[in-house]
Amino acid sequence: MTPLEILAAAINGKPAPRIPIFCNLLDQGARELAMTSKDYFSNGALVAEAQLKMLKRYGHDNVWSLHYVGKEAELLGCREILFANDGAPNVADFVIKSLDDISRFEIPPDITQVPAWQSVASCLQILKSEIGNTHPICAYVTASTTLPVILMGMEKWMELFLLGPFELRDELLRKCADFFHQYISALRAAGANVLVYSSPFGSPYFLSPDKIKKMVLPWMKHDLEPGGVADVVYYCGMAPFNNVIDLVFDELHITKHYTSPLDDLTTAKRIINTRGLTCGVIDDIKMIHWTVEETRAEVKRIIDIGKPGGHFLFGNGVMPLAVPEANIRAMVDAAFEYGGLE
Amino acid sequence: MLESYIRSYNDAVFETDKEAAMAVVNKALADGVTPENIVFRLIIPAIEMMMAIIEKDPDANLAQHFMTAQIAADVTEKMLEKFSQPPEVIGRIVIGAAHGDLHSLGKRIVSGCLKALMVEVIDLGVNVSAERFVDAAVSENAQVIAISAMMVHTATGENGSQRVRALLQERGLEQKIKLAVGGAPYRFDPELYRKVGADAWAADGVTAGKMIVNLIREVKNDTA
Ligand code: B12
Repeated sequence: MTPLEILAAAINGKPAPRIPIFCNLLDQGARELAMTSKDYFSNGALVAEAQLKMLKRYGHDNVWSLHYVGKEAELLGCREILFANDGAPNVADFVIKSLDDISRFEIPPDITQVPAWQSVASCLQILKSEIGNTHPICAYVTASTTLPVILMGMEKWMELFLLGPFELRDELLRKCADFFHQYISALRAAGANVLVYSSPFGSPYFLSPDKIKKMVLPWMKHDLEPGGVADVVYYCGMAPFNNVIDLVFDELHITKHYTSPLDDLTTAKRIINTRGLTCGVIDDIKMIHWTVEETRAEVKRIIDIGKPGGHFLFGNGVMPLAVPEANIRAMVDAAFEYGGLE
Repeated sequence: MLESYIRSYNDAVFETDKEAAMAVVNKALADGVTPENIVFRLIIPAIEMMMAIIEKDPDANLAQHFMTAQIAADVTEKMLEKFSQPPEVIGRIVIGAAHGDLHSLGKRIVSGCLKALMVEVIDLGVNVSAERFVDAAVSENAQVIAISAMMVHTATGENGSQRVRALLQERGLEQKIKLAVGGAPYRFDPELYRKVGADAWAADGVTAGKMIVNLIREVKNDTA
């Protein structure tokens, strides 16, 4: 079976030789090609090349078209990203500097014409032609309620979101949702087949479940309505969300959940059960200081919880660059070893 | 007693309802409570109660941390203008986001709580170099350097907390200045703070207040 078929089998509860194994490597690509982070991320063909090389090196199931999350801000006019050779790129220029900028802020009529899109497009083009029929090609889309964070900063957005002025907040949310619709359909058209819906404001770590229902859910519905959710994975940026899994099932109909290592996996698995896919996620920040044995033991613990009953995927979050290569290898190897189903 | 005010104030904060919280404060003022008592017997006990709640309640969320800090800092600032004489401060800290890090919300929540707890906060902004942290702490006579980092490389990088620790050591300042850290990576790995040379960390901005006040007291006792 191909990795794509193995993923489908896990989602549908059909027989497969093993569970799907995701290993999310972003910044490692620059190291793979021995380049600076800035040069590496400037060219989507390089990102595709590194993703394919790392896929060969570790043997996991998925690749990423995501360069870094700040790319979405660049598509919307951000002119400065702070690159680091020891870690992830960071938005350094906020498109919305004051509330007055919100009414002036405009979504490009066609984001595929924006220069920042070209690198994502060429990355996806290569990934699709090389492994589009056999492997999960993951893309990342930020929910409209979270996108403002990289446009104006978390501090200003939290304030606007909670304290208003609410007409301005809603104006910005409408614009972000317009962008979301364009972006997710462009990613799909270009060949992404696993769409990770990143919605930290849909996590009880940010807001009470009650507030999520009232203030975030309507926007999540609005985001996802046009394209449907068949290929969508719910993800809160590694923030916990067990308490809203039922809500996400009932109201958004998303059945795949990329859980947080800060949440209890046994509970997540019980809630999701055979209704969808539980993704058990290792705490890769701890992997920086773990030994190979500790890494293996944690992989085993997670798979022991998730595998019985099927409908389970093993993965990591966003692998920090500081995690030793031996631990990445140990993680993937152990997942293959413990994740067998025959 | 101000207990009923404290309760209704905290209920409002917990519901992240700023208007209702301000209404409680205004009602107390109208009922003749002095600005001093608003701060010392309403806001500070309310924050302390909130710390206890948040410590025990795994479901407390960021919006609540944010509102606790935001409202408390706002009220305190307004009341301070009305104090008959300047209040006694507990101590002074410098705070900022680590070198290479542009995330500012964590630092703002921590600052808000500290201000209401009568700690003077000097905010150095984001992307602050280790040298600047130490120089500012020395020139401002601060007892604590507080560093917020939202990413692994800015938490563990050699130009972040580790470098601050090295500078404190080189300059013989370790008794006089303590190092506190916080931010997402520390929550994923509760042992991480030791590895970057910090004296303490806190999992959220509200309990950070208590931890930092303790560090200030430690320094003051050591150097007294
Ligand atoms: C929301 C979120 C996002 C949002 C918004 C991010 C932002 N603020 O700009 C989005 C989706 C845009 C995003 C993007 C990214 N993210 Co993000 N994100 C998160 C998430 C879920 C919460 C972070 C956050 O903003 N919290 C708000 C702050 C205020 O809360 P807090 O950190 O809990 O702070 C509290 C305490 O820590 C404490 N505290 C904070 N500072 C201090 C200081 C002191 C002295 C003390 C005592 C206490 C203290 O008090 C605070 C209030 O209670 C975390 C995971 C998590 N569960 O925490 C990942 C996380 C921070 N993200 C991560 C990453 C990697 C990224 C990206 C770099 C991904 C990429 N490759 O592009 C981008 C960067 C975007 C950018 N800014 O350019 C990683 C960082 C670790 C790492 N691998 O380096 C995390 C930890 C997820 C993970 N486990 O992998 N992210």
